[in-house]
Amino acid sequence: MKISKFTKGVAAIALVGASIALAACGGAKQTVKVGVLVADASGEEALGFKNYLQRYVAKEYNYEFVYSPAIASAEQAKSQAETFIGQNCKAIIDMADKNRGDLAKLCNDSKVYFAIGSGMMSDGDFAASKKLDYFVGQIGPDMQTEYETGLAMGKYYKEVKNVDNIGVYGAFIPNPMHLYRMAGLLTGLDDTYKGQSGQNIVFTVFGDDAQFDAANIAGDVEIDYCAGFDGEGAIFGTVGGIIAKGPDAFLSVGMTTTFFADMLDEAHVEYSDIDSFTTQNGNHMKTGSLKYLSGKYSSSLGPIFAAIKSAIDGKAIRNNGEAFSLSQGYWTAKSSAEFEKFQSADSVNNPIFNKTLLDTLVGASFDTFKAAVELDRTPQ
Amino acid sequence: MEQVVENKKSGFDKYKIKKLIITLLPLLALILLFVAYIVILNINDYNVMMNLKTLLNQSLILVLVATGAIFIFTLGQFDISLGANALFSAVVGTLAYKATGSIALLFIVCIAVAVACSLLNALIASVFHLPMFVTTIAMLSVLTALATFLIQSKGSASGTSYSITLPAELVDKLAPLDTVAFKIVLLIVFMALMVFIFNFTKIGRKQKFLGGNERCAKLTGISISLFGIIAFALAGLGVGLGSSMTVVYAHTVSTTTASSIGMSVFIAIVFGGMPINGGARSRIYSALIGGFSYNIMTNILFILFQSMQGVRDGLVQVISGVFFLVIVFVASINYRSKNLPR
Repeated sequence: MKISKFTKGVAAIALVGASIALAACGGAKQTVKVGVLVADASGEEALGFKNYLQRYVAKEYNYEFVYSPAIASAEQAKSQAETFIGQNCKAIIDMADKNRGDLAKLCNDSKVYFAIGSGMMSDGDFAASKKLDYFVGQIGPDMQTEYETGLAMGKYYKEVKNVDNIGVYGAFIPNPMHLYRMAGLLTGLDDTYKGQSGQNIVFTVFGDDAQFDAANIAGDVEIDYCAGFDGEGAIFGTVGGIIAKGPDAFLSVGMTTTFFADMLDEAHVEYSDIDSFTTQNGNHMKTGSLKYLSGKYSSSLGPIFAAIKSAIDGKAIRNNGEAFSLSQGYWTAKSSAEFEKFQSADSVNNPIFNKTLLDTLVGASFDTFKAAVELDRTPQ
Repeated sequence: MEQVVENKKSGFDKYKIKKLIITLLPLLALILLFVAYIVILNINDYNVMMNLKTLLNQSLILVLVATGAIFIFTLGQFDISLGANALFSAVVGTLAYKATGSIALLFIVCIAVAVACSLLNALIASVFHLPMFVTTIAMLSVLTALATFLIQSKGSASGTSYSITLPAELVDKLAPLDTVAFKIVLLIVFMALMVFIFNFTKIGRKQKFLGGNERCAKLTGISISLFGIIAFALAGLGVGLGSSMTVVYAHTVSTTTASSIGMSVFIAIVFGGMPINGGARSRIYSALIGGFSYNIMTNILFILFQSMQGVRDGLVQVISGVFFLVIVFVASINYRSKNLPR
């Protein structure tokens, strides 16, 4: 029997439709669903958080964490948040940082809890959102912590490593988080920016319409500076040029392990970064040239989960009736052995914020919760 | 010949039926996808109304931009700068709105800037006798650079990028426009206008003629430049409305605003049954059908593969690509007919 191409085409479409309907069956699960907005799920830090949520917390608490595709813009973030709400997510954790004030309001209107898991809202946005009933809060290193982390890195390379000329990667300056780290780094190196040091550097840059110009850096330590990421290759050329000059070290306020680790490892140029304690970074530290890493540990996301679960269970943790904003510090490893010690102290199967600890936080008072979040948990 | 005579005798015009079914295929596919979507939402106990609202939000801007762009595609041309134009006009419109607080000015500026940029494309191509594709690539770079400059100089750093965000009082003023009712009315009015121009005026007919056979159309006295300018102006109108609604929806613009529009427009109109070479078989409603079909399909795939999150995003892209090829193949059956379009 001869079948025409037209009939085949119609049959193909019908088959696809039927497959979709059949494949949809059996999808519903009786777990509590939480949406997670991410800008890039492939970054080291994001992967660490994802493993902790999906492979540990989800199993221990019968929760399901649904990740968004990579969010590039505010309209995508809002659309994805609406999708999560439509899929009966009880809460949304935002790690994408796209117009968070708007998302907090959207979630509040939809009676879905909203929490910030990475980075902090600006003071203005937080003040405008903290009274929203469904805004749980934010936990992350505050700007003082960011500054001190950069300061410690700068001091270490100035006083212990005695560097004279270095490459510096400014990541996404004038992103405030990266700018505070840079202010600390320059101060730690005894360099100045427009004659300023300390957190005055931040105020100076913001006073110049948030324009950071490396020509304004002065001091004994010579700096070859670059920043940003175009994704098109030019930045790799710039970093390659800095590496070719043979700097004593390449210091970074973020994202270097994601973008440039292989280049620096290959050139045997020592580098530092502020990222997280993941297997990949461990490998760079063990066999590559990564020699200094300040980072978050994967289960540091645990308290924000505890706060969300508390809210969903009807025992919301509030700071005087408002959403909380708490700071969490970094760990710093200066050797592979130290890194391994940290890593083994916080693995997917045995995280710092394990079920026993999380259970004490669910439904806790704000003071108890705050003390637990801000406690220095650096493995000794 | 004998077969045709035989068919006519029996009152069975196989060609007409085939043509009708192929014409209706995109609509049938949309209905099928929509039914499957509703079934899947219900099986998973999802909030159907919220998902439909999200679908409208996902599709509206794409449909507005793509419908205007159909006038360009009908001519057999391609504008790769649509996304950059949407970004630039949204940035200028946002700055105007921030400065004045006037919603009318937001829309007027967005549309005026988008139409001007679009016309500039046509003008440059016409004056310098450049292929339209080349001109729009150049405009893509220029408009992106201008928008980035404006955002960096007038906006603030947020996350890993700069953005211009509206203050709360201006966001509140936009709330009545960020509703399902307003968006549906806007879509109906815009589609009615476009359908009228495309199907019931000389503009649409002459553009189809030009797209089908440029030389022949020229010999009958149809001006390629004039109808190119009209096509780009109408495309600019769609882009302007789309960028206005982006501001209404997102309340902020960054360098990544509307970043996916350019490619999505092309996919949407092909999903909607538009011939990739334009011409007589072009359909103005292709963007409407294709925009919704594409988004429904993507949403279905994300639901189906939700448990496979490690590979989900890549899998959805691959399946979307295969769907795209299947649709182009099915549609091309019609083009390969030995009969001329009628």
